[in-house]
This record gives sequence, C-alpha cells and structure tokens, in this order.
Amino acid sequence: MIGHMLKRDVLRNKTITFTLLTFITLSSLLMASAMSMVVDVWASVDRLFQQAKVPHFVQMHAGSIDQQRLDDFTKKQPLIQAQQTVEMLNIDQTTLFLKNRQQIDHNSVMDVSFVKQNQSFDFLLNLHNEKVEMASGEIGVPLYYMKKYDLHIGDQIWLATDEFEMAFTISTFIRDAQMNPSLVSSKRFVVNDMDWQMIKAHMGQSEYLLEFLLKDTAQLHEFEQMYQSMDLPQQGPTITYTLYKVLNAATEGLIAFVIMLISALLIFIALLCIRFIMMAALEEDAREIAVMKAIGIPRKQIQKLYLTKYIALAFTASTAGYVLALFISPLLTKNIALYMGVGKQSVWHYIIPCAGVFVIALLIIGYCQLILRKYQHISTVEALRTGHLTEKSSSKKGLLLHRSKKVNIHVFLGIKDIWARLNMYSVIGIVYMMCLFMMIVPVNFLYTIQSPSFITYMGAGHSQIRIDLQQTVDIEQRFLHMQETLRTDPDIVKYASFITSGYKVELQDGKYDSIHVETGDFSIFPLSYLKGKAPKQLGDIALSVLKAKELEKDIGDDIVLLINHQKHRLTISGIYQDMTNGGKTAKAYLDVPPTNILWYTVNVDMKQSIILDDKLEAYRDAFYPAKVTDVAHYLAQTFGTTIAQLQLVTKFAIVLALAIASLMTMMFMKMLLAKEATQIAIMRSLGFTVQILRLQYTIRIVCVVLLAIVSGMILAQTIGQVLLRQLGAIMGAPNIALLTHPYMSYLICPLLLLSIVLIAVWLSSKGLKQQKMLMKLGGE
Amino acid sequence: MTTIVSAQHVNKVYKMGETQQHVLKNIELAIKEGEFIAIMGPSGSGKSTLLYAVSGMDQITSGRVLFQDKELTALTEEQLAALRLQTMGFIFQQSHLLKNLTIFDNIILAAYLAKIENRQTVNRRALELMKGMGIEELANHMITQVSGGQLQRAAICRALMNNPRMLFADEPTGALNTNAAIEVMDILADIHQSGTTIMLVTHDIKVAAKTERVLFMVDGQIVAEHTLGTYKKEQLKAREERLVGWLSQLGF
Repeated sequence: MIGHMLKRDVLRNKTITFTLLTFITLSSLLMASAMSMVVDVWASVDRLFQQAKVPHFVQMHAGSIDQQRLDDFTKKQPLIQAQQTVEMLNIDQTTLFLKNRQQIDHNSVMDVSFVKQNQSFDFLLNLHNEKVEMASGEIGVPLYYMKKYDLHIGDQIWLATDEFEMAFTISTFIRDAQMNPSLVSSKRFVVNDMDWQMIKAHMGQSEYLLEFLLKDTAQLHEFEQMYQSMDLPQQGPTITYTLYKVLNAATEGLIAFVIMLISALLIFIALLCIRFIMMAALEEDAREIAVMKAIGIPRKQIQKLYLTKYIALAFTASTAGYVLALFISPLLTKNIALYMGVGKQSVWHYIIPCAGVFVIALLIIGYCQLILRKYQHISTVEALRTGHLTEKSSSKKGLLLHRSKKVNIHVFLGIKDIWARLNMYSVIGIVYMMCLFMMIVPVNFLYTIQSPSFITYMGAGHSQIRIDLQQTVDIEQRFLHMQETLRTDPDIVKYASFITSGYKVELQDGKYDSIHVETGDFSIFPLSYLKGKAPKQLGDIALSVLKAKELEKDIGDDIVLLINHQKHRLTISGIYQDMTNGGKTAKAYLDVPPTNILWYTVNVDMKQSIILDDKLEAYRDAFYPAKVTDVAHYLAQTFGTTIAQLQLVTKFAIVLALAIASLMTMMFMKMLLAKEATQIAIMRSLGFTVQILRLQYTIRIVCVVLLAIVSGMILAQTIGQVLLRQLGAIMGAPNIALLTHPYMSYLICPLLLLSIVLIAVWLSSKGLKQQKMLMKLGGE
Repeated sequence: MTTIVSAQHVNKVYKMGETQQHVLKNIELAIKEGEFIAIMGPSGSGKSTLLYAVSGMDQITSGRVLFQDKELTALTEEQLAALRLQTMGFIFQQSHLLKNLTIFDNIILAAYLAKIENRQTVNRRALELMKGMGIEELANHMITQVSGGQLQRAAICRALMNNPRMLFADEPTGALNTNAAIEVMDILADIHQSGTTIMLVTHDIKVAAKTERVLFMVDGQIVAEHTLGTYKKEQLKAREERLVGWLSQLGF
C-alpha cells in the first residue's frame, strides 16, 4: 500500500517532487564535492610533501655562508635529521624571455631563480611526482609559468643579457612543493648542474636556502626559536613546514569553503521547501487522514505513510548527488591534481563525502518527523467536516477594503493575502532573500579582493607603485641612488621609503624569536589600523595581528627588541592586518640606524597626468635590479588563482541562485493555484479576468521579492562581512572590510532576481486559463 | 417580453480518456426578460451544467447560446468576464465568499472592480442591501463568524451589487436548514418582483413552487415543462401540490 501511495503521490505532484529532488541532489552534490576537495587537498599535499621531502624549516639568506659553522650546528643539535644548503641564482626578470626572444614580462611580481636539483631532500618534481633530472640545455619550468604563458614541452626559453645568452628547451614542468602557490612570490627553474655553473659565471645573484629536516615536526617551534637565538645566517625570512602546508591548501581551501557555504544554503532552502510541501500535502489530505484515523489506523502508521515518501526522496536524491559528485569532483580538483598531483586514493575519499551526504539525508528526515509531530493532533471531526487542518487566516481582519479609499483593489487584495498568510509568504520570501545573498556575497568577496585597497591587508598603505629592493651586494648604494632620483622627480605626488630589518624580540620565557621590523614614515601612505595607531614617536612599535597574538601582547604593552646586541624597550602603539610573510611583521619608530637590513620598499604615487606604464618602465631601467610593480598588477598576480576560481564560483552561484528562485517560484505558484482554485473560481464568477488574476499574483510575488531584496542586501552586508572576517582571520587579516560592488549588488543582482521571478510567475500562472471553474464551485 | 437568454441545439460532452459523457443533449431553451425559472431533475441529469452553459461560465461542445442577443461562444474571455461583472449575478450552493475579506468587503468587491459608481455610493448601496436582508450588523464580521443562512444572504447581496439583469442560482438553499431556506427563497422572490430575471437549479419542491416555470431534466435533456404562473404567497400550498403531482407523473 505504501508503494502504491508513493507512486500516486509522485505522479500527482510531479513538479514539486522534481524540485525537491533537484534541491537535495544539488546540495548533496556540492557537499560531497567540497568534502572530496578537502580530502583531495589533504591527500595530495601529503603525498607531494612526502615525495618532495619538503624541509621542515627554511631560512632564506642573502649574504655569505659559512657551511662549516652550519655543519657544526647540525652535528650538535639532536633535533636535526639532515641539513642542506641550496644556492639559488636570482635572475632579473628582464633577462628572462619566455615564449619568444623579444618579449619581456615586466609586470611579473614573481622573483625568478635558477636552481640545480637537490641531493638529499626538497626535491623538485615533474608532473608524475618524480624527481627530475635535467640534461644539458634542458629546463624545468614552474607550473605557474606553464599556466600563465601556456607553455608546452619542447618550447624554448632564453636567458639573455648584453654579453651573455643561453637557450633552453622545456623538458618538463616543475611541481615545487615550496613555491607552487601563487601566494608565494618566488619561483624556481631547474637546470642541469653544468648549465647552472655557466649561468652563475655570467649573471644572477646568489641567495641561499638553509634547509633543515627535523626528526620530529612537533618540535618545529622549539627549533625555530633556538635557531633564531643563535648567531647563524638570518638575512631573509624563515618559512616552516606548517606555513608551506597552509599556503598550498589556502587557494583550494577557500573554494571548498565557498562551495560548502552554498551547499548549506541549498539544504536550508530544501528544508523550507519540504515544510512547505508537507504542509500543503497534509492540508490536501486532511480528509483522508481523518478517515484513516476514524477507521482506526494507528497514528504511527499514518505518519509512516508520509515519512516513507520523504525517506525515499532524501535517499534517492542524496545518492544521486553523491554519484554525480564522483563525476564532477575531478573537474573541481583539476587544479589540485595539476599543482600537487593526485594523492594516494584511500577509503576516506569515499567515506567522508558519503558521510557528508548521509548527514544531509538524516537532517531532512529528522526535519520531516518534526513537522509531522506538529500535525499529529488533527481533529478527526473537524477535518471530516471542513476538509481543512487549519484556517488561521479567516479570523484575522487586518486591512479593510472599504476603508482604503484610493488603493487599487488588485494591490489591496495582494497585500491583504500576504498579510493573512504571512507564514506561507515568508517562506518564499526567505528563499528569495537567500538567493540574493548567494549572489551578492561572492560578488562582493570578489570585488573586495580585486580592489586596489586590498593591499592594506597586506601590511602596506595604498599606493600606485611599489618598489622592492632585495638583498644585493651594494644594496645601500642603490637605495640611496633611488632616494635621490625620487626626491628630484617632478612627476611624483608623494613617496615613502621603508627599511625592513631582521631583529629579535624577547619572549616571555626569556628566549628570542625573530621579527621583521619595518622603519620609515608611516604617515605618508597611511594604513588603517585594527587597533591603535601607527608608530609616531620614538619607541613606538606596531605589530601585525598574528604577531601580536603570538607574543600575547596588546596596545599599550611593552616589548623588548634585540638590535645590535642591545636591548630596546618599545611600546605597542597599534595593531594592523598583514597577510604577507606569514602575517607576522612589525613597524617601528627607532632611534638607532637600521642594521641587518633584509629589504627596502618604496611606495610612490604619481601625478594624474603621468602615464603609469611609461613611468614604471623608466624606473625599472633606473633602479635595476629593484622590482618595480604596478600595485593593481601585484594583487592580480598574487591572488590570480584565487580570483580566477572565485570568479567561477561567483558565476556558478549567480546561475544557481536564479535557478533556485525560478524553480521555487514555479513550485510556489503551482501550490498556490491549487490551494486557491476555489477562490480563483469565485473571483472569475464575479467578473475578474484571467489577466487581472495573473496581475494579482504578480503583485503578491513582487511585494515579497521587494521585501526579500531589501533584507537580502542587509543580510549580505552583515553576515557577508562576518564570513569574510572569519576567512581573513585565518590568513592574518581579521578585519577585512567587505566592499560592496554598487552596480552589481544594488542594481544588477536584484534586477536579475526580480526578472527571473516575474518570468516564472507569468509562466506558471498560465495554468489559470485551464482551471475549470465549475469543479470548484460545486457544479456537476 | 423579450428573450434574455436562449439556447439552441446546445450539446455538452465530457471526454474522460476513451469514454465520453454526453451531459447536455440538443437543448433548446428560451428565458424571457423578468422570468423566474427553476430547473429540476435527478442528480446527474445536467441541471447545473445547463445553468453554467447558458451563463457562459462553461463552454459548450456545440450549438449556440445567446445572452441579450450576444452569442456567448463568440466572446473572448475578457468580454465574458465583463458581461458577468456588469449584467449577471451568481449564487452558489456553498456561499463561496472570499475567506480573507469581511462580509462587507466581500459584498462591495465586484462593485469596486466594475467602477460604475464611486466607492462611497457603492458602500452606501451595500449597506442598504444588507439592511434589506437583515444582516447589516454583520458587516465587519469574517465569514467564519456567521451562520450558513447569513452567508448565503451576503452572497445574494454581492450578486445584486451591480444591478444584474439576470441572477443564476445553483441550489441556493441546498446547504441551508428549512427556515433559512425559506428566508432565502422569499428574498429571491422579492428580487424577482423587482424585475430581475432568475434561473435557479433546485431539488426542493418548496423552492421550485415559488418560481413561474419549472423545467424537468433527465439524462441531459429537458423532458417536461410546467408553468406555474405569477407567485402569490397565499397560493403556495396549492402550487406545491400541483408540482408534486406533476413530478410524480414524471417518476421523480
């Protein structure tokens, strides 16, 4: 009997069943895909890190190296398993020619370095995760360049200066566990040992990676502190195994997060949808339920009849979603597979997505049970007599037609109906609100991350041009020359120079940790501070959020810096957001000249009349080898992959939201028309035309959509901001201000939603013409 | 007297899958302006179908229906709606008032839609009509707060709001108790007295006895007709007896 009822029910409510099935399938599909992405990232990173033997601790160093001292240190330290010193040749990007011999890529923000394959660990791998070996004349190119320039195996690459030229043939692409992510602004090219020596003889500047493998990664932090408290090479940032993992997983993680968010929204909508359908079905079947009760069928048995349908539906749809995800996931994880390789397939690849989907199915069934419980006290007599479960609306008077002197009667009837059945309309209203939220939030996320002011979350004020001068032999001379040029340049509106030095900060237990301290005038390109303000007077220091958290300090607290073996007590004046260098930096106003300089940064704003590209070109020539970047390009390249993926997700979210809105509208209208068939017939008998009735339905839905649009906008501003902050907090910028794309958020998205809903209402109210008046008015 | 409604060779066939149900068979009917006519017959004989066919509420399969010399089958949906709004009134077995509106708002709705008179005049007229039916104190009640008889009187008020030329009533007393049914029929008789044409469908001899002419339908056809003449209260008993006699001859 249950099977028979199920079949009848599905056939009777084809549209509704299909809509529900679609929602549950989609949300299961997204949940399973996102889960599978998480598992994949995890497995792939794990496998890549194992096969590449990623070092646990890396100190970059731009000065000279005393390997003997390092070896002694390694021997004495029980924590170290192995040590390796990697020499990288940093190449000026204007000497690197990709694609063709003439074209120089000036806009790249990446630091290019040439290396040999390593001997004991930190291997550079090919796309099969195998250690690459280069023959003479061959080159292994980082994946980042393959994607950016569409390079192929067999293509030529040139290194050329006025005196020296060398051509290479691409023999493989490189998966570099350390420098894969676009968030890491260095890329390593691999060449044959002999070729490397040849390049070194003619060009490039050496920079060292002092790499350590530890016996136990749990002692990483301890080792890091110990290393930094020793007098060992430290001219450059340090990077740990954990940071490598975070950087590798960040891009894909962000996408998985957004997909899970969409899936959660879909589940919410599916639940609303179910509530809606069940209430309508119970309403429709009130008389039958009453009859069943009257002939003595136990309540539990009746509940089972209804529940079975939803159990069947939930499991069919979630199974379908899971199976679809098996096909769709490879598309979503294509990037992961390319950059990190395919992880070891384990049973978790199937179990975790399956568990996610199972939870969705259980949630749906649980919710159905909850609704049924609410309706278990149906009065048999009442239902038999009236055929209704509830008639809450009929005793509410609300607005009165004869008192509304000038109001159009169609508008009146529309508003009156919404007022009388607020519960029902609020369900569809919430769906529209969610749909708009789903459209606006990704749009604004994208807008925020693409905005030039996003640089302020990277610990720098907003300027047009940024010049980076890294460690070179005569770095100070070059810096002075640069200062001189800028001071006399009439095209400049303002500029500010900053010096970043590597100092040590005293920890609570008396040990020392390294800290990058930037000095300069912070008032020229102001940064908005999360708390407090920029260092203004001697002895002021500002910390990045993550550094302050690590040191457990707040504004007003003192910290002690070790500069030139001298202790300096500084007061924390402010806390700012920074996503660069692992998010752990500081800015200070010091009374000692900077020592142990790591790099220089200069921010420049030009007069409006100046053509920026020309100026960039001129500075590149003048300040070689400093890196001159257009800040807009800088962001686009640093977040390139994330932006591209987010764009895709945004488009998907918009299409999905519109599809949901139209499907839900059609379903809602279908139910409304069925529920109100008698009322419609009465109105038609009074002389209302079908066109006018369609207009009345349109008015009702438009009222609901308009309210939903307003609340959706508010929701996107508030909750959207909270979500973005959660995401930013992980990366070191807990207070990212969500920027609102004015046209998209306030005009295009709401208009799209309104139009699609109007079309859906118009299409589904076509059925009004076919409705037979007589059946509903008691004709034979 | 001129003919207000005429049906010529009207057929109505329902198709249900492969089977066909011929519910109106070659109907010929003419109703004069100001006439009060009742349709009787067993259940399923096609009485309501005929009422809805001649009022343009339902489409016919073949034949012609003329209402005030306009052929209904030739009219568009909009024209039919306008005709219903301005010249017809309907009363159903269930009073069929809109559930979200008060009794008063239900009554004035169609008049507001028609926009023949301004809203103040409409409101005044509605109150007068309600007073006439004895339900003026129910104006601001919701439809769940009043009795079936009161609802039906409100439905009659609604049907009369636009001064229709003709009232169509489908079992208007079918859901009422005896007293309420008598009251409603007396109201309909009064309306007829004032010149409105009425066509009603009923099972009830007491109801039919107050009309001028009774048609008897069996199996989709009008098989007999009985003229009772102008109704006078004191003749009611005699008219009922005449009808009983006539109907028993027909096997009803």
